[in-house]
Amino acid sequence: MSVIRLDLNKCIGCRNCVDICPCDVFYFNEGAHKSVLAYPENCQSCGQCYLNCRGRSLGMVNDMYGYPITAFRGASSAPMNRKIVTVPGVITEFTRGKLPGV
Amino acid sequence: MELERPQNVACPYDEQYVTDVVIVGCGFAGLNAAVSAREAGAEVLVIDKGKPGYSGLSPWPSSFRWFDPERGDDADAFRQAMMQGGDYLSNLNWYNKWIKESKGIYVRLTEWGILAQYPKASEAGDFYEREDFVGYRETFDKFDRRKKWIAVLNRYEIPYLEHTMVTDLLMGENKEKNPDPDKDRPGDGNRLESGIAGVLAVHTQSGKMITVRAKAVVLATGGGSFKPTGYPTGGNTFDGEFMAWQAGLPITGKEFEDFHNTPASAPGNVFLDNHWQYLENIWLCGGDITAENARTYAAGKGNAMVLDKVRKSVYGMPDADGSEIQDVRNAFFTRRGGSAVYETDPEEVRSGKMSTPVAASLLAGAATGMCCHLTSGVFCGLDDEDGATAVPGLYVAGDGIHATSPSGAAYPCGVGFTSCFTSIDGSHAGAAAGKYAEAAVLQAVSEETVNELKEAFLAPLKRERGFDPNWARDVLHATMAPYWVSTAKTEATLKAALTQVEYMRDHVIPRLCAASSHDLRLCAEMRHKILSAELKLRAGLMREESRGTHYRSDIPYRVDEDYLCYILQEKTADGSIMADKVPVPDAFAGDITLPYDKRYVYYFPGEPEAKGFTPPPSGFGGKRQGDAK
Repeated sequence: MSVIRLDLNKCIGCRNCVDICPCDVFYFNEGAHKSVLAYPENCQSCGQCYLNCRGRSLGMVNDMYGYPITAFRGASSAPMNRKIVTVPGVITEFTRGKLPGV
Repeated sequence: MELERPQNVACPYDEQYVTDVVIVGCGFAGLNAAVSAREAGAEVLVIDKGKPGYSGLSPWPSSFRWFDPERGDDADAFRQAMMQGGDYLSNLNWYNKWIKESKGIYVRLTEWGILAQYPKASEAGDFYEREDFVGYRETFDKFDRRKKWIAVLNRYEIPYLEHTMVTDLLMGENKEKNPDPDKDRPGDGNRLESGIAGVLAVHTQSGKMITVRAKAVVLATGGGSFKPTGYPTGGNTFDGEFMAWQAGLPITGKEFEDFHNTPASAPGNVFLDNHWQYLENIWLCGGDITAENARTYAAGKGNAMVLDKVRKSVYGMPDADGSEIQDVRNAFFTRRGGSAVYETDPEEVRSGKMSTPVAASLLAGAATGMCCHLTSGVFCGLDDEDGATAVPGLYVAGDGIHATSPSGAAYPCGVGFTSCFTSIDGSHAGAAAGKYAEAAVLQAVSEETVNELKEAFLAPLKRERGFDPNWARDVLHATMAPYWVSTAKTEATLKAALTQVEYMRDHVIPRLCAASSHDLRLCAEMRHKILSAELKLRAGLMREESRGTHYRSDIPYRVDEDYLCYILQEKTADGSIMADKVPVPDAFAGDITLPYDKRYVYYFPGEPEAKGFTPPPSGFGGKRQGDAK
């Protein structure tokens, strides 16, 4: 669960992701004039980079795996039956593999 | 394929700065502190670990609540709900400040554009149907409140350093102490008389260390969490709490837990939990508490924020299939925090939170480690009015770092209270720091001291073997998140967790390794999280009762004789922890002669049996606020 790169070609070098990320997940490659998704393991999935990406180069992964432990968890059929949504830039496990760079 | 991460990042900032007042952290508290210090005539420098407007919790409030006597709001009714719902630990001095000043803060934030109203996603085109989050943001870009932070700083000509983490407070070494109007504050202030001298910071992407000398410092760093699980805590990792601890200041309120939940279908997905609420305007709230409903309002809040998660953790929860949504469109408006006269009074703008539906939050622990809003942080005394600490020139402001406790042991004040209250808190601390700086001189700090602190921060870079801070983060989170540690606590489970945390403190933290300045940040943050966890567990053990968001399933009732108090912890000269209790004044404690089940408005599982009374059929002392019109 984190931000992902949908298409690096679409990065226009606006630096919004580098500026906005509260966790320093992004760096900037001056030579290529593009952002670098450097530390996805520190992404908190807040989505501010995705929402402000002017080139629409970023997406959000909505997979079930990798979620941190919660205080408690009852029975949940969510992984089996949950609503499957296809949202521009929001990638579920069902659309994974169908998009470039995912 | 991602490009290579650049090895050498240029730092846009100087190595040294000198100013009157440093504001550390720029959310609602920090922004108001910065402006108020500036208005007091001080030169101000803001330092934020991210970008002002986008860091900490402040990008995310969905609501803003203020008190408006001109619209018929009832201060006595609200006070009753705060006292009863806060289990009689509500600090009425700070509550009264909110009553007096919240409307002024509403005017200020409105003028800054932070409270601008615009069409919501489900009523603007088909953004909601298409789930076009980016399109909606771009369409209403000019209203995006996050951008107003930098605009306000620019307007008041306040310079700021972004992506810069303050790592240490610098203590003054002058022989002459600064004039200190607040020398009697609790804590020994690091046993230093002369005053604060500034801060040491690091620009996190370049690793360049920055020394800032200042006459006064305001810590507005927020609280933190071990790892956010659906609730956006930004980069908040208890940095301010750690620095305050090192400075010998007392920390309180750690036993009271955050109450936010996260969706069962995607726990840990902050975006899924918050997207429309992040994107839409801040909803205006207030005017929903009346003399008639004060008790049931408090009971309803207790049921929703405390009992719901306690019951689910103790008894388990029903199946969730991921289709659950939180849809307020058909709820009665006071249920959403709106004014009771919203529909009949054309002048009333407080509609309550009417956001577009999002995934329903069902699981507790959305921000494990975060304390209940406003209760935790530095304790500045019962006569505290401005966050002044025992260190001359050092102030604290805002949620998670300044324990003002207007809402006591829980959060019975309704949505939107914190964004308003922390703005008030920040404005007081900023004004006080500005005034202090006027009479103070810059304190000296030796190069030797600065170099020692720099070396300590950089130490993980030099270790050849050890542990990854991301691994340590996950182990700590897994230790602290389970309900038997965070929600329904017992002496045995708290002690077991404390053993784990103490082991990490002694054996893992000293061996954290870093390969970059980014890692150095993570190592320092882990050090802060471990201290915070230790203080939280110790406070939970010390409070041998249940109260508000602190539920002990082995002692499922309130013990007024011993615990109508704030529990303080403080580092002594030899490094050990000293604990203390500060009883709340009689005025905060409510009517202690009332029968137990009348005095309290909701009851924990096991409490009626233990105290020998019959609970009402609803099980929590009142019907849900706003259910009936």
